[in-house]
Amino acid sequence: MATSAKTASKGSNGAAAAAPTATATAVADRDPALLRRIYETMVLTRAVEDRMVAMYKGGDLLGSLYTGHWHEAISVGAASTLRPDDYMAPIHRDLGAHLYRGMEPWQVMASFMGKATSPTGGRDGTLHYGRLDLGHYNLPSHIPANFPVATGMAFAAKYRGQDKVCLAFCGDGSTSRADFHEALTMSSALGLPNVFVIENNQFAYSTPIRMQSNSEKFSDKAVAYGIPGVTVDGTDALAVHDAVAEGVARARAGNGPSIVEGVTMRMHGHAEHDPADYVPHEMYEEWAKKDPVELFEKVLLEAGVIDADVAAQVRKDARQVAIDARKRALGDPMPDPSTVEEGVYAD
Amino acid sequence: MPTDSGQATYLEAVGLALDHEMERDPDTFLIGEDVGQYGGAFKVTKGFLDKYGPRRVVDTPIAETGFTGLAAGAALVGLRPIVEYQFADFISCAFDPIVNVLARHHYRTGDSMPVTMRAPFGGRLRAGPCHSQSVESYFAHVPGIKIVMPGTPQDAAGLLISSIRDNNPTLYLENKYLYRRLKATGKLSMDPIPLGVANVVREGTDVTLITYSAGVHQGLEIADELEKEGISLEVVDIRTLVPLDVETIVKSVKKTSRAVVLHEAATRMGYGAEIAATIQEEAFFYLDQPVHRIGAKNTPTPTSPGLEDAVIPQPADIANAIRKVAKA
Repeated sequence: MATSAKTASKGSNGAAAAAPTATATAVADRDPALLRRIYETMVLTRAVEDRMVAMYKGGDLLGSLYTGHWHEAISVGAASTLRPDDYMAPIHRDLGAHLYRGMEPWQVMASFMGKATSPTGGRDGTLHYGRLDLGHYNLPSHIPANFPVATGMAFAAKYRGQDKVCLAFCGDGSTSRADFHEALTMSSALGLPNVFVIENNQFAYSTPIRMQSNSEKFSDKAVAYGIPGVTVDGTDALAVHDAVAEGVARARAGNGPSIVEGVTMRMHGHAEHDPADYVPHEMYEEWAKKDPVELFEKVLLEAGVIDADVAAQVRKDARQVAIDARKRALGDPMPDPSTVEEGVYAD
Repeated sequence: MPTDSGQATYLEAVGLALDHEMERDPDTFLIGEDVGQYGGAFKVTKGFLDKYGPRRVVDTPIAETGFTGLAAGAALVGLRPIVEYQFADFISCAFDPIVNVLARHHYRTGDSMPVTMRAPFGGRLRAGPCHSQSVESYFAHVPGIKIVMPGTPQDAAGLLISSIRDNNPTLYLENKYLYRRLKATGKLSMDPIPLGVANVVREGTDVTLITYSAGVHQGLEIADELEKEGISLEVVDIRTLVPLDVETIVKSVKKTSRAVVLHEAATRMGYGAEIAATIQEEAFFYLDQPVHRIGAKNTPTPTSPGLEDAVIPQPADIANAIRKVAKA
């Protein structure tokens, strides 16, 4: 594994206190444009989600709101390893992965509002805004139903002799489901170009990881499929990037799938309606010190990739994008009820 | 590989259509348990691995959810997967991806989901409660899936070709009792037969029997006997449950004024209930009798011959039910 991945948290999944791993030296040899894009996307992700939390509280949204606070390093770090023509099957904590590959923030908001301009035209809504034209599978709520689908996208690439890969995401909770096992079984048996990212955020809704599994790490499950599995600090964008990049390279070379577990914390409820009283307060205090966006910003500042003025401008710009996105989404039309029976079947 | 002898069985007709489409369209591939080196549990795909290779004939681990979801992903990016479930009974293992991934994807996104799902179903083979099920009603309630249930070798071929070319998830249910019992008379046409078009397989004037799959032959078998008694039976083979050709059914019932619905699945909540309700909505004032439903008893399908025969409609039961409706 890459250096930054090796030094990532080992042992207990529940430990908040994995040492920071992305250091200024680890940054020195990297493409500044890539670092800048990862940073800007992480900041934008946070700005859009903070804005949407306010919109939820203000009654702008239809149902609940699922956010990815403290998942930004995983979603953006992983997505930043892909080529534009690769496929991705993300989940509801992965706004950053969508934004990195071209999703429009206003369209995400429109989805949570059931607007005609959302990617599903109001047929679906909330977090179901994946766009196939960006190579993204729009998953149903039954996650990880996206895992078997991800094997199919990878299968199609291999079938056609293309060197595309499909990157799929799930949470710790998803690893208990049959489709996790069947997708990993199929991908491994057929040698498909997949990378499976497990976002371990300590809770499946209210159920803590120790009530879900006796595995020391979720990446240990890779042993059963005979594929590599690694656990990294999920608050460290570069640790995630390096580990996933290794999996992507392996998949692209025709050597089959692998698992990358990123350990982080779900800093909001399962969704915004959930006060998450079941989370011990000390966990929040501990993990509050590990804000992935702040950590990455600090790394870039220390390495001289950006300076304080740039950081301030990036944050200001992101905030403005979020404000403008809300304005646009609010102003967009709702779908026409007379069309409701259209599109059940394709022509 | 299957060849058309002029007397192709129902099973061979399925194989001939698969071969025809795989030759025609390089984006089609077969996937399922034991479909390759073993040639399928019923040998429908015998020889396909040798002809098309492991790239297009994919043996899988025992993972119905896994390979159904795989088919969905492959279809989304332009392939046309043809999935085989070894028995329709095992399709419940893939209920989640069929209902939540395949069926509603187009409505949710506008993306096409051209997946054909083949499964042998049905009883009369003494295969018991877990290998004899009729599963069509589970899926008929789910918007977004087409359901195809051919009753003749020619329809098996033509409807399978249409299913594969269709841009929607299509459940194609093969009656395994008919596999080797039913033979074509003459060479099969490989022209697609459109989905949603019923076939009046026997014209009559007194009673309309609306049925599909094996029910078509059961109806034809008793029609001559009934004719001798002065009951002229019209047999309508709906061929596809979704979409349903309401027009042909209603036209026939308006002519005969008496309707009997027959299927091998349980009567309770069976597809016949939908047909009966549709008839009363569309042709109530033409009816001389209530629409009668014939189907299996509301039990699992037992193994032992006497028990199974007591559950699944037998020719005498069907004839008696039609007599009652005709004479009342």
